Amino acid sequence: MAAQQTPVDVGGIVRPVGRLDLVTALQPHVGRLGDRAAAHLLRRAGFGGTPDQVRRYSAMTAREAVASLLAAPPVSSITPPQEFEDVGGPVSMHREKGREGREAIVTLQLWWLNRMLTSPARLQEKMTLYFHSHFTSRATPMFPWITYGQNTLFRRYALGNLRELTLEVSKDAAMLLYLNGAQNVAAHPNENYARELMELFTLGVDNYSEQDVRESARALTGWSVNRRTDTVTFDAALHDSGDKTFLGQTGNFTGDDIIGIIFAQPQCARFFAVSLLNWFVYNDPEPQLVDHVAGLLRRYDFELTPVLGTILASNLFYSPRAYRALVKSPIEFVVGTYSALGLAAIDEFALAALGQMGQRLFFPPNVAGWPGGKNWLTSGTMIARQNFLTRLLDSQTLAGSSWLQGLPVSSSTAARRLAQTLLQGDAAPEALFELEGYLSGAGTAALAPLSVENYDQRVRGAAYLAMATPAYQLN
Amino acid sequence: MKRRNFLLAATSGLAVVANTDHVFARALAQAPLPGLPGGADRCLVLLNLAGGNDGLNCVVPHGNERYYQLRPVLAIDRHEVLAIDRNVGLNPGMQSIKALYDKGMVAIVQGVGYPDPDHSHFRSTEIWQTAAPDRYEHTGWLGRYFDQAPPARGNLFEGVAVSKVLPEVLVSERTDIPAVPGLGEYVMAADRNVAARSVFSREATDAHLPFASPYLAHVMEIEANAQRSSEELPKLVAGYKTQASYPATGLGRSLALAAQIVGSNLGTKVIYVEHGSFDTHVNQKATQNQLLMQFSNAIGAFYDDLSAHGNERRVLTLTFSEFGRRIEENGSRGTDHGEASPLFLIGGGVKGGMYGTLPDLSATNMGNVRYTTDFRSVYATVLERWLGRPSAPVLSGSFAPLPVLA
Repeated sequence: MAAQQTPVDVGGIVRPVGRLDLVTALQPHVGRLGDRAAAHLLRRAGFGGTPDQVRRYSAMTAREAVASLLAAPPVSSITPPQEFEDVGGPVSMHREKGREGREAIVTLQLWWLNRMLTSPARLQEKMTLYFHSHFTSRATPMFPWITYGQNTLFRRYALGNLRELTLEVSKDAAMLLYLNGAQNVAAHPNENYARELMELFTLGVDNYSEQDVRESARALTGWSVNRRTDTVTFDAALHDSGDKTFLGQTGNFTGDDIIGIIFAQPQCARFFAVSLLNWFVYNDPEPQLVDHVAGLLRRYDFELTPVLGTILASNLFYSPRAYRALVKSPIEFVVGTYSALGLAAIDEFALAALGQMGQRLFFPPNVAGWPGGKNWLTSGTMIARQNFLTRLLDSQTLAGSSWLQGLPVSSSTAARRLAQTLLQGDAAPEALFELEGYLSGAGTAALAPLSVENYDQRVRGAAYLAMATPAYQLN
Repeated sequence: MKRRNFLLAATSGLAVVANTDHVFARALAQAPLPGLPGGADRCLVLLNLAGGNDGLNCVVPHGNERYYQLRPVLAIDRHEVLAIDRNVGLNPGMQSIKALYDKGMVAIVQGVGYPDPDHSHFRSTEIWQTAAPDRYEHTGWLGRYFDQAPPARGNLFEGVAVSKVLPEVLVSERTDIPAVPGLGEYVMAADRNVAARSVFSREATDAHLPFASPYLAHVMEIEANAQRSSEELPKLVAGYKTQASYPATGLGRSLALAAQIVGSNLGTKVIYVEHGSFDTHVNQKATQNQLLMQFSNAIGAFYDDLSAHGNERRVLTLTFSEFGRRIEENGSRGTDHGEASPLFLIGGGVKGGMYGTLPDLSATNMGNVRYTTDFRSVYATVLERWLGRPSAPVLSGSFAPLPVLA
């Protein structure tokens, strides 16, 4: 990257209208959740719930529900995708290169999507995706193990400490390759990672100087990736051990010292507060709210569990301003659809559909990640979303949706249940009326009355109609 | 806000919803616009030669001994080069483009690139598409052109990407540009649901939705655009008769659709097409020659078709590639990622000839061709002299246009 940079453009992000009640915003929400709030929580803290899960969470209070979401299994208990089980993997795999590497990435994409769908620790997976979007790295088919390693790292810290994760990310093979940390040596410093560490990962523009970029790049020298074993090594001979002056402090700093200094800046907590509010609550959060959450991050020393626990149980989170206030990402749209239908596994065709919708796992558009908000939706991506629904609803996979297959042959009951289960009732009365009309076949010569013979096709069509409403695009 | 067809309304075979703002009806009713440069009917076709086209085997410096020294295996034989002058000539596969060059319809700009070249396909492609070598932009330079000059109300086809996914160059803040891989692929699949849609397409109002969302209006607008544009595009271009035999290649199909869109007078200002991959690390010669021949033949047919309809002066084709390639060949009969390379401007409105500076194969940048013309000067030329808009707001700076247009 060139030396001079101007701010990253983040257009297309919109704050909800209405007034923030700062006094009560982060106080715990009281009472049982009910279906709507439970589904909202499961969409945000995960990728949407199955009808059974929504029912189970609806009986809980926010605190109980969040406590359940915060319980995550240790990463060591997770079974890797089959191709990645072989301990001797790295060497054998990238000997094969090319095609096998690309296939390994596809395997990994599908494996992760299925974890999002089925892992009981949904918040762990949601935060893993958050970190993938935040500490962006792009997969290289030559090194699928490095991508898997980074994915595991994000999962390990999903509900852990932000500072510790940032220390690890700075020595992570995928990041060292993606942002040229591996080429950052004392004799020829490469500033790419140092700059993005501050600009995109921890502080934001205008909170450091060009001098700080140069000095921190020197401190971060010495790490490299052994491409035969996919391991990271530190070579003291390549490290610049001289004094550096960084954000007003001078010393013989290492990369770890640099990250310690960054996290001591009040701006760092504000930066993550904005980012987490954008991810979980609504876009472009008010500065006073940001300060509140930044205060929490500092109080808990950047431990995510208590901070996320507070946010996800808060009045703010369940307020009408936060409800449906985000655009579903393609991943949320796809995984959420499988989940709402109660399907057991993601189909491989979902991967191509996700590409057409604009979100391929491990291939963010650039180091700034997916811009989100309005940017998710264009005519082309909307057609891709609708065509994905059609494909899924036409497929054999749908036979696995027991609740859909078990809808009563009564158009009014079936319509109500579809709207309730797929939309939590978030449809205009006219839409519900039309849905029932479609199911019954009333009001048009094009449709025969609902019967046992046309039941299956009609129910699939009705599910499509419910999912083609505006609410279904919103999270 | 009142919304028509809050779901997917009538598709083929069913009545199109009456809409007094129907721009397409107006577009169809219009007489063909006069095909004169300077008119409002100009179109830019941006052609991405993806993967890093090796400039030296495309515009061959056959007068340069050093080229032959550095490329003992890969150099194009002097007697095969389609000579333009004693210094340079075209790759032997590019006969159609040579013929257009001889008619004065091709300008070649040598040594185009940008400061501090990035050798990653991904990042360099992004730089060419966003015109931002020194920062991250999520909008493309042509997306920003549309943001500066918003499309006529309701026209969904001022920009069209002939591709599966919208390329970054057409990503815009305010303009929804369709990505149309082909007429047959830009459709809402759901035949089974046609009946469903017809039932579910009556009017609804937002006011009756039991929630508010800052994105609701946007979702509805895009849904309506997607539905309308996918239904209408095939109908709008149906009257066009293709009058050239395009090669049966991806680029041939893409350019045939581009000519059809231009000839159907939809008010389209920009069309994006792509061809490749030119990433020839291994056994370059056969691969690149083939790709260049496909490029050249498709362009030849494209301008035949445009000319048969009197449209050749309305359409400027501009090529780009994320980088050129290393001057010296590698050990695998290929070349590695390089820097500056030539680009082509083609069309009846072009002042044909060679522009820029011949690549200096001795004073290199670590074995790569140094850039001598900033790519943003080419973009400024297109924006100001072809599309008729100020370039500075789009390019975040002032770049001198080149004298390549008539």
